[in-house]
Amino acid sequence: MFAHGILRSARAGLLAGGVATGLLAAALNSPALAQETIKIGAPLALTGGLADEGHKQDVVWKMWVEKINAGGGIQVGDKKLKVELIEYDYQSEGQRASQLAEKLINDDKVQFLFSPFGSGHTKIVAGVGERYQIPTIACVASSESVYDQTLKYLFGTLSPNGGMTTAMVKFFKEKFPETKSIAVLGRDDVFPKSMAEGIAKAAEAGGLTVAYKELYPVGTMDHAAALSSIKAAKPDWIYITGYTQDLILARKQMQDLGVTAQIVTMVTGPSYKEFTDGLGPLANGISSSSWWHHLTSYEGQGVWPTTAAFYEDFKARTKGDPDYVHGSCAAAGEVIVDALARAGSLDKAKVRDAIAATDIQTFYGPIKFGPNGMNLSRELPIIQVQDQTIKVLAPAEIKNADMIAMP
Amino acid sequence: MAIYLQILSNGLMLGALYACLAVGFSLVWGVLNVINMLHGSFIILGGYLTFFAWHLYGIHPVAMLPVVAALMFALGFALQKLVINRVVSAPVLTTLTLTFGLDMILYNAMTYWFTATPRRITLDLGAVQLGSIVLPVDRLVGTGLALAMTLLLYAVMRGSSIGRAIVAVRMDRSAAELMGIRTDRIYAITFGIGALMAGVAGVVFATVFPITTNVTGIWLGKAFVVCVVGGLGSVPGALVGGLVLGLVESFAGHWFGPQQAITAGFVLMLVLLLTRPTGLVGVRGYE
Repeated sequence: MFAHGILRSARAGLLAGGVATGLLAAALNSPALAQETIKIGAPLALTGGLADEGHKQDVVWKMWVEKINAGGGIQVGDKKLKVELIEYDYQSEGQRASQLAEKLINDDKVQFLFSPFGSGHTKIVAGVGERYQIPTIACVASSESVYDQTLKYLFGTLSPNGGMTTAMVKFFKEKFPETKSIAVLGRDDVFPKSMAEGIAKAAEAGGLTVAYKELYPVGTMDHAAALSSIKAAKPDWIYITGYTQDLILARKQMQDLGVTAQIVTMVTGPSYKEFTDGLGPLANGISSSSWWHHLTSYEGQGVWPTTAAFYEDFKARTKGDPDYVHGSCAAAGEVIVDALARAGSLDKAKVRDAIAATDIQTFYGPIKFGPNGMNLSRELPIIQVQDQTIKVLAPAEIKNADMIAMP
Repeated sequence: MAIYLQILSNGLMLGALYACLAVGFSLVWGVLNVINMLHGSFIILGGYLTFFAWHLYGIHPVAMLPVVAALMFALGFALQKLVINRVVSAPVLTTLTLTFGLDMILYNAMTYWFTATPRRITLDLGAVQLGSIVLPVDRLVGTGLALAMTLLLYAVMRGSSIGRAIVAVRMDRSAAELMGIRTDRIYAITFGIGALMAGVAGVVFATVFPITTNVTGIWLGKAFVVCVVGGLGSVPGALVGGLVLGLVESFAGHWFGPQQAITAGFVLMLVLLLTRPTGLVGVRGYE
């Protein structure tokens, strides 16, 4: 009887405990408390082929979240909400990025997505965000084909690729008026291919002859055949697109095979420090264009009021110089801050409309989205490696060197 | 004409490098019937050892060749002895899955430790001009080393008792065991030689290509194609397969554009699988 009583008490206790736990869980999941933080989900390539790029995004997003939370959070209506960044490693595999975006939305209940590196993977994640009407901010996707899918919830902080080609043709023709022909070799991948196509069109429109134009497939480990053909075509300007490993190999083989021209452009090679580190003196003379450079001097709203403030913070944290990936991704957070302040609520449709109406100045430059969700075109820096450091050739306001011919 | 001579020499140099990367893979596949998915990562590990020895201590890549060879042999031997030998008699899918899993560990560990940033040994040895043909010195040295190591392996397989034992195990494991050959040990030695050759390829490649974990799958894929083209399980097979693939990629890249160069290699592989499954110089029974 006594034992039975104990069991009954225990059961009642357990039941009470269970009910209490259930109530607590329900309370924690209630909209009032769930909205005490703003959750941003980020499928990131922390391992695999895009790990370097993934880590670049990771470091600046963490810097941004720390800064914003240290200031009390993001103003939404009459209260300030802290930010929680939830990251998952998608191992550089697009299919996994899609699955993790679903998990972030359904399990972690994120209100925003930061998209991963590159136009290809952004396309995948943005598709998931669109299905659930979750605003997705892409900071490293510049191919217009990604934004031409009529996705209402996708916004990109990079300007269209087109801004990097026409201005470059005009600038180089001014500097080297004797330039008559161009050879274009591009990697058959979303961004490098669109840049190769873009420069060929811009060059033709600018009165240059396209002496050679070919794409090479992903996984190419030898450019000798293409470079031998380019050598035979004797162009005045050689323009090669690809990722850092492709471009290091191509530059090395150009040197080996004696292939050169007065202008050699590699996109986006010199934008990355690892390109100049990997090539050493061979990088000298190579020109490129970039969406942002830390020598720019923009001022604006956000946790970093000036480019210099961001640069100092970044330098202190990583001991290295930021590139456009860092700048663009750090600015992506400011888009959310600004939109929430104007929307005054977390309502999906209101927030989406507020992002679409973004028109702000930041340390990264102006951010104003066009009808397709891309940051509007602006004058982008043209850069060149001189003495193994990056020099800015244009625009004139931030220029710190004159262009030189390839040594 | 000059451009064709240039493309011919490009193709031959590339082909010798392909032969070097595939010979260890071919040996392990032919003798152990193990499709070693670790092979691409072994090559890059050899490349990283060479790069860091040069970058941190200024050791010339050629001086690292015996060191990397010894370390990689030890790694391969230990892996086979302790892990792969436990399932070596299982169907090929089991060993393939095992080496795939081991590769994921090694690949991600390397990406974690070294990051995927492409690194390069900036020796830049220049080029030799022969008439209108330009021959990059590092590729020439790489070609020489690749051919020398491949021929050395051939000599070991033909002339040493270990080599004969490996060939005997490849031909008939049961008969070899009855003759007193310790097959487990021969398997470990063979896998060790496979890793050693991958490491040597890594040393050679470190002077020619950027080193990054991004390319492990690419090198593994090349090894597959070379083995199928040349024929499995034989050193001459890897050499012939490598040279043919190098030439086909170079000429296809020139004639049909670089976009078709890799495709041409795979088309050749498919044609050979249909018409000559043993490969160009492979041994019947290993197709």
